[in-house]
Amino acid sequence: MSQSLDAYLLLAAGLFAIGTFGFLAKRNAIAMLMSIELMLNAVNLAIVAFALFTPSLGAQGSVIALFVMAVAAAEATVGLAIVIAIYRNRRTPLVDEYASMRE
Amino acid sequence: MTQNEWLALAPFIIVSTLAILIVVVDMIRPGRDHLAAVIGAVGVLVAMGATIAAGPIGGLGGLPPEGMALFGGVYVRDGMTAFLDLLFLGIALLTILFAPDYLIPRKLPVPEFVSVLLFAVAGAMLLGGGRDLLILFLGLELLVLPGYLLAGFSKRDGLSTEGAIKYFLLGSFSSAILLFGLVFVFGYTGTTNVAEIGDRLAAIASGDAPLPVALGMGMALVLTGAAFKIAAVPFHYWTPDAYQGSPTPVTGYLSVGPKVAAFALVLRLFMEALGPVRADWWVLIGVLAAITMTVGNLAALGQDNIKRMLAYSSIAHTGYIMVGLAVAGGATDPEVAASGVQGILFYGFAYAAMNLGAFAVVAALQHRPGVTSQISSFAGLGRRAPILAVAMTLFLLSLVGIPPTAGFFGKAVIVIAAVEGGGLLTLLAVVIMLNAAAAAFYYLRVVVVMYMRDPAENAKPVDVGGWTRLGLIVAGAATIAIGLIPAVTGAALDWTLEAAKTIAGL
Repeated sequence: MSQSLDAYLLLAAGLFAIGTFGFLAKRNAIAMLMSIELMLNAVNLAIVAFALFTPSLGAQGSVIALFVMAVAAAEATVGLAIVIAIYRNRRTPLVDEYASMRE
Repeated sequence: MTQNEWLALAPFIIVSTLAILIVVVDMIRPGRDHLAAVIGAVGVLVAMGATIAAGPIGGLGGLPPEGMALFGGVYVRDGMTAFLDLLFLGIALLTILFAPDYLIPRKLPVPEFVSVLLFAVAGAMLLGGGRDLLILFLGLELLVLPGYLLAGFSKRDGLSTEGAIKYFLLGSFSSAILLFGLVFVFGYTGTTNVAEIGDRLAAIASGDAPLPVALGMGMALVLTGAAFKIAAVPFHYWTPDAYQGSPTPVTGYLSVGPKVAAFALVLRLFMEALGPVRADWWVLIGVLAAITMTVGNLAALGQDNIKRMLAYSSIAHTGYIMVGLAVAGGATDPEVAASGVQGILFYGFAYAAMNLGAFAVVAALQHRPGVTSQISSFAGLGRRAPILAVAMTLFLLSLVGIPPTAGFFGKAVIVIAAVEGGGLLTLLAVVIMLNAAAAAFYYLRVVVVMYMRDPAENAKPVDVGGWTRLGLIVAGAATIAIGLIPAVTGAALDWTLEAAKTIAGL
């Protein structure tokens, strides 16, 4: 286990960047949803790392991480519901085929 | 909890309880559309009453004028909170009035609509009073998650779900970015309290402490996430599709509710938490504002679909409101900075009335399922439905900013503040005026179509439902009263200025 806060933050930033890349590069709505979850996990890693290395943030950080998990779960629920709704209409999960509104 | 603490929380508790109550009523007596709308509208009126009873609004209200902090300062009810709560409740009320006449012919459930809408409004109210990063984030999510559901409310309609998924994907992407930024602000300042973050940053701004690179990065991420939420260019791509696809009353709500709420979040984050380093961000906001209004207006010029046109125009209005933020950050005189914040609040107020009204007319035209939202469907409305056409003209003139309407005073407050700010801010005032002239073109095009084009051969008469009629009267009266009756204008100006001054440091 590394003893440096920066190492954890770099890892979190790396995860966040992977999630961002996945969101921008993937064309499948489910994969984009997974990328967003990865970004939120990176956020949680950063929160927990701050809480571990800054004594005054200890308890606060853990609580915030729990809240972020709950929000991420709620977001995934809503997201999957919308993905299922559009899949029933269009029979495809690929977002670049959702293009019926263009000027 | 003391009596005053209950009083301060009452509006929020009433709205959340009301949302749950409607779910329960719908469970016991399913499918009572009008009943749900009545409960929703009456409940919102009660919540408005509770907000006024709590205050502090001018001399009104049971709370002390300086406001009241709850739960160790994570939620504060001050003049700003009271103003924003009333505004959000007003938006909820108008949306509830406009919805049934659109939803019932399409067999969409009104109780679910009202309940989901009220949850979103509860989130907006949390944003209005939150003084803690965690509360602000939770309020934001409580605001946007029901918003995604509302956008996809017509779930068998391909356009509605398509708008919803675009709104959802970009919305949660931006939430993640905003949250990542907030975490760095939290980690490096060591607190989630907005005021304490301000104190720590004040030390950095005065040169007593260095600015950690990661903290700067965090603030940049916060700015990006916030720009997504208010739909500022270049983070606006979700707006046109989400607005065009959503059921029309939802579009009306989405174009004002989440936007004003996101500005409430921005005010708390930028003016209070990041206030001490405002010299570092106001130029950026000013440049974004100029680009946002110009791109929004230019894109709106070429639209044939009125919902898409109003979507682009809402981007332009975001730009106008952002000028208020730039003034608040960039003005050296605190009085001028306060009038910048006042501009944000006043414009939000005026914009809510006129934009909801315009969307209500669009929804009324679409009363019959199958009517598209093409601008050509307005042809001959001046003869087919004279009163509806007059109402639409009023709202459009107000959106242009022509006196004597609410929109005129909204623009006036922001432009005057920008001119008083001097320097680059004066330039922004010029950009607003040029943009307002360009915007007149596409708004007035609709008026021309309404009065100077013959209706289509097969045009059916427009029957406006009772709910819509009531809502149009409220929205129209607000738009006119703020613009025409000096006493009302003065009261609104005083009230917004007083609310603006509750922001720390003004």
